[in-house]
Amino acid sequence: MKVFATGVKVARGEVHILKDMCKGCHFCVTYCPMDVLEISTEFNTKGYHFPIVKNQDDCINCGLCGMICPDFAIWSTLKEQKEVVEL
Amino acid sequence: MLENIEKSHPADCFLYTDSVPSVWCPGCGIGTVINTFIQAVEKSSFSSDKVCVVSGMGCTGKVAEYLKFNSFNKIDGNLIEYAAKLKLQNSDRKIVVFSNNADFLISGAKDLVEIGEKGIELLVIHVNNIIYTITEYKAIPTTPFMRASADKNFELPFNIPHLAKECGATYVARWTPLRAGWLMYSMIDSLSKRGFSVIEVISPCLMYYPDSKRIGDAAELMKFYDDNSVIKHGELTEDLDIRVHNRIILGKFVDKK
Repeated sequence: MKVFATGVKVARGEVHILKDMCKGCHFCVTYCPMDVLEISTEFNTKGYHFPIVKNQDDCINCGLCGMICPDFAIWSTLKEQKEVVEL
Repeated sequence: MLENIEKSHPADCFLYTDSVPSVWCPGCGIGTVINTFIQAVEKSSFSSDKVCVVSGMGCTGKVAEYLKFNSFNKIDGNLIEYAAKLKLQNSDRKIVVFSNNADFLISGAKDLVEIGEKGIELLVIHVNNIIYTITEYKAIPTTPFMRASADKNFELPFNIPHLAKECGATYVARWTPLRAGWLMYSMIDSLSKRGFSVIEVISPCLMYYPDSKRIGDAAELMKFYDDNSVIKHGELTEDLDIRVHNRIILGKFVDKK
């Protein structure tokens, strides 16, 4: 993750995925600003490749994935306000 | 990874959960519009009992089947007239119309003049996918210049924000589905308006798109629409028609008190 300033509190989020709701449009993977998600190699019950979490620590709870998902399969919640220490 | 997989989405209280995931194609913009609409109702001061959803025919007509508001499906045209009658009988409720090209332009446009003149309180969310979804080769009022596939369309596309403004709309905006935050705040603004308001959402049809009949690249097509659009708030509505070489102009164009 890029760090621009120290001593600032940054929100950390947690991504939740309903894998059987996903229809494989990959909007969340394409548009995630912090590259948290990636496409899985497995299939779900409908035969689509669903997103999985690649690096959970980078999620900043911007809520974009939950806002643009057409099938209500992914959302994020606030986990903690973490202070950025090292550059 | 298993602890991330949970059972219920936060928007599930507004959805008939046995019927989702929906029948629309993977990555269709209508799903994103519904998602942002649910979040707009959650964030605005409206209670969900006071919202009525009316939808018509075609792909957009399926909206009423999924939303757990008071929802109606008018199958045979005259959607705007039906919503206006509903508003006149239930004056304490907010009527939200999900329309597409067939409902809004072909069989409902004549009612816009009267509704705008009388100032009936409606919110029309118009999902414009440039074509009729079923008859993809046919030229319709919003087909871009020289872009129908069977024989070229030699007429300029219809300018929906200009029509809405001239009919006396109090709020006119235009977005693409992936500008979901802008779209959500437009919906929150227009839910509190006391007049006729129109939000146009330009959403590409993924399956029957006339130029490229490739299936499965929804994110790529949406990215094409986002790269070729530019946000200009308060632009004159005369300049908003979609040409081939121009960029699509998005933004909030009319906001009366």
